[in-house]
Amino acid sequence: MAGPNRHEFNWKKHVRFFKMCLQVVPGRYASMDTTRMTVAFFAISGLDMLDQMDAIEKDRQKMVDWIYSLQYLPNAARSNEGQCGFRGSSTAGRPFDPKESSRNPVPHDSGHIAGTYSALLSLLILGDNLSKIDRPAIVAGLRKLQLSDGSFSATPEDGENDMRFVYCAACISYVLDDWSGIDRPKVIRYIKNSLTYEGAFAQGPGLEAHGGTTFCAVASLVLMGCLHEVISPSQLDRLKRWCLLRQQSGFQGRPNKPVDTCYSFWVGGTLQLLGVFNYSNNLFNRGFLEETEDSVVGGFAKWPDNSPDPLHAYFGVCGLSLMSEPGVLKMDAALNVSERSAARLRGIHSLWRDSADGGVPPLLPLEHTAFLKRCLMALPSAAATADASRSPPKHILDSYLILSSTGWLWLISVCVALIYSITWMF
Amino acid sequence: MADSDSSEHAGDYVLYCDRENWKDLEPVPQDDGPHPIVQIAYSERFRDCYDYFRAILKKDERSERAFELTADAAALNPANYTVWHFRRILLKDLGKNLQDELDYITEVIHDHPKNYQVWHHRRVVVDWLRNASDEIDFTRLILTHDAKNYHAWQHRQWVLREFDLWDAELDYIDDLLEEDIRNNSAWNQRYYVISKTSKFTDEVIAREVSYTKEKINNVPNNESAWNYLRGVLLDTEMYKYSGLMTFCEELFSQSIRSPHLLAFMVDCYQEMLNAKCEDKEEVLAKALKLLKGLEEEYDTIRCEYWKYLSVTLSSKYAGKLEQSSS
Repeated sequence: MAGPNRHEFNWKKHVRFFKMCLQVVPGRYASMDTTRMTVAFFAISGLDMLDQMDAIEKDRQKMVDWIYSLQYLPNAARSNEGQCGFRGSSTAGRPFDPKESSRNPVPHDSGHIAGTYSALLSLLILGDNLSKIDRPAIVAGLRKLQLSDGSFSATPEDGENDMRFVYCAACISYVLDDWSGIDRPKVIRYIKNSLTYEGAFAQGPGLEAHGGTTFCAVASLVLMGCLHEVISPSQLDRLKRWCLLRQQSGFQGRPNKPVDTCYSFWVGGTLQLLGVFNYSNNLFNRGFLEETEDSVVGGFAKWPDNSPDPLHAYFGVCGLSLMSEPGVLKMDAALNVSERSAARLRGIHSLWRDSADGGVPPLLPLEHTAFLKRCLMALPSAAATADASRSPPKHILDSYLILSSTGWLWLISVCVALIYSITWMF
Repeated sequence: MADSDSSEHAGDYVLYCDRENWKDLEPVPQDDGPHPIVQIAYSERFRDCYDYFRAILKKDERSERAFELTADAAALNPANYTVWHFRRILLKDLGKNLQDELDYITEVIHDHPKNYQVWHHRRVVVDWLRNASDEIDFTRLILTHDAKNYHAWQHRQWVLREFDLWDAELDYIDDLLEEDIRNNSAWNQRYYVISKTSKFTDEVIAREVSYTKEKINNVPNNESAWNYLRGVLLDTEMYKYSGLMTFCEELFSQSIRSPHLLAFMVDCYQEMLNAKCEDKEEVLAKALKLLKGLEEEYDTIRCEYWKYLSVTLSSKYAGKLEQSSS
């Protein structure tokens, strides 16, 4: 692919664009006022995908704090779990302090499924260990949002329901490693009923097949681990064909519609999940993204010569990630984050699972002792890590911090001292 | 793009903090903590209006002035679902005239035709009214501006279903396809209407196949029509369908090389191979020749895909690879 005239994407400008999104955006973004959490996710995950998390290192904790401030926590009696999740912003008037907002809830204010999805993934990417998430409450919140047709609404107040929110529900369940918030047979039925005569998926039964909703449907099935059980081989063949036919130069979302930057991810990501991304044409796809890149302010626009926006900036980068563009991390398409962040999540899951196996509720000190025991067992590699950086690996520090705050300092001190004394001996 | 409130004359608008009838209410500023992210540089009017919206919400005040405020808040950000939710509560509590509300949301949708919340609001109001007499014309008007507006189609399908208004829909679709034969949304609607009314009986399938063939004859390289043809014949073996192979071969003999035609023929040949047809080698050779054409000449952007299909077909149906692909 590399040639003398190959276009170079202006990563520095893109980093600046994402950083700008995280700081202050112009008043014309007022229509995003309730979805600031999702804009934050685009920017944070965009920086992660560009392997530039250092660019926001000094603000990392502040971002984590802001995100947690939007968690809708249950009250003492946990009678309002159905409203739990993350809000997309503070615009409905909740106080910044989550405990205060739990004591004095604002009427008609609840979590929003897309806010929850965006918050969980952003926390993960920012290096948070998700320990302050009230997992049972979020799962209970999800349960409340599923409708009788299997689809999901976004909030427990009234509102529309469709495939976007099915995907959010699947991602949330995957991140929390808890699927009890979803009635799986029902949601699978909804997804199957949304498979159209064209061979791809719509927002709901009867509606038109669409690149974005097709991604949502396929990724949900992948996250649930049942794509091949639910979709027959001949249906998969048609689905692959439909997705590949969306490529004109970049990708379009529906037949006979113009190409648009975001479908380089929505359709490209689907192709990757179906194992046939290599049959699409990178030269044309990349060529289209070159045209929608804004090399002055950074970011990508929907179409050439349009203004960039956070969504298209992010999905432009994701589109390039799928093509293995140098300078962009590989992504886990189903979860819509970098492979690196997805791997971190699996690490968190194994901690949770270990604690569950031992019959210990999450976040009690014992899980950390189990983890530290494993660290001791794996000393050679721990030693290598410690030697390389001259500081303990971050996950060991995380455990240390939590344990010390819960009064288990004596145990951790012994373990850490042991690790270090052995490490230094090498 | 301008600030959200620049379209109105600044002189006509009085900030809520300057209004006499709001003096009793303490505005609630947004509490975003010491280090907010993705801050929006709100206009003065936005901040003022939402400070009072938060105050109203906090009190859960069900009043006329609250109702009026929701219109201002929605104008500043029509995507604020809490504003719309609260407005619906007020509509009920205050016993507002729902026909007026329908007129209001009509205006809002004209300004924001691609916003989820406004369409949802309309649906709820129509549902409460149990009167959908405006909906067919209204969605038609929106579709005049953008014939593929997903929200408008979604609303229209709900109306047809909920109020049993199917009678004139196929005629409307004919009109739309006359205007633009490539309107995929109209093709989808055609499929939807039939599946909900007459269903795809043998007779209907025959009618639809002939309708689609005619449209393909006029514009052969139209994916929407080809997809529809496959959809109509979803549970049928296409190669066996009366006259269909002949139709394709005729197009081919007229030098039509639309990738959709060629791919359709390949799929028919594959069906024949699956059905263990007699002249297997010949059929396979035809399919591979078409695939080679797609790969090298007629659909080169997907050359890797067509190549992959060739290999799959060859390995699946014969050890005749050398003979047929050389």
